[in-house]
Amino acid sequence: MNDAIDRLLAKDARDTIPDERFTRRVMQALPAPGVRTRPWLKPALILGSAALGSALAVALSPGGSQLLEGFRDLMQFRLLTAGALTGLGASAALLVSAIIFAVSSD
Amino acid sequence: MTAPAAPNDAALILAVQQRDDRPAYAELVRRHQSQVRTVLRRLTRGDQGLADDLAQETFVLAWRNIARFRFEARFSTWLYRIAFNAWQSETRKKREVLLDVEDDAPLMADASFDEMPDVASRVDLERALATLSDGERAAIAACYYADLSHEEAAQALGIPVGTVKTHVLRAKAKLRTRLGAKEKTR
Repeated sequence: MNDAIDRLLAKDARDTIPDERFTRRVMQALPAPGVRTRPWLKPALILGSAALGSALAVALSPGGSQLLEGFRDLMQFRLLTAGALTGLGASAALLVSAIIFAVSSD
Repeated sequence: MTAPAAPNDAALILAVQQRDDRPAYAELVRRHQSQVRTVLRRLTRGDQGLADDLAQETFVLAWRNIARFRFEARFSTWLYRIAFNAWQSETRKKREVLLDVEDDAPLMADASFDEMPDVASRVDLERALATLSDGERAAIAACYYADLSHEEAAQALGIPVGTVKTHVLRAKAKLRTRLGAKEKTR
């Protein structure tokens, strides 16, 4: 590997490019302070909206009463009633969808 | 009294991650700008304007994503990965980037010009590098200008290690032939 081409490439790679205001240009191109995206913010917003939307849907939909009944069952550890299973299924589906969306929407 | 030692890259990165420390990031840019710009100049066939635009994009992207840097690789390796992606995205806007090995390209091995490149000028080298395929140029940029190992280069470019090795061998053979031929005509 240590032939003339290696030496020529290594020599060329060692040459340095003077900064010449490059760093200043980069620093000016950075987002303003405080604007930098916080990685947790988007997933938190998506999961929060999903939770809020689900709560509203349960409260306002005609089938909501059955779901509410199901959640009451869950709180009393009655896990095998129809309402509890519906509530568990709906919550799991919403949670998984929200997590997938939150992770993939970056 | 001796001057306090300059903070290493890791200390600067931590300062940026924890406090959004802009002067620390400026120091990181100052330290790495030359190599990143050199690599991109070689990738863009010597187009200095485009290379500097891509280098700026690289450092801005690195700033945005520095919270995800986990110290699993060298900071420079991580930067080159971003730079290679920026170059590939830019090139794809104009044409397809081919990083695979071209089957019909013969593996040249002409040792008769082994001593010729010593006297070749940088302009000759730049011109010779510009004639290489995307994959060969990228492999040479990664292994020589970015000083990555074959494994790191493969990771950064998203191609198998074997392909990187083949590209490097073919690129060097082509450079040897081209620079040797150039020297013969002088």
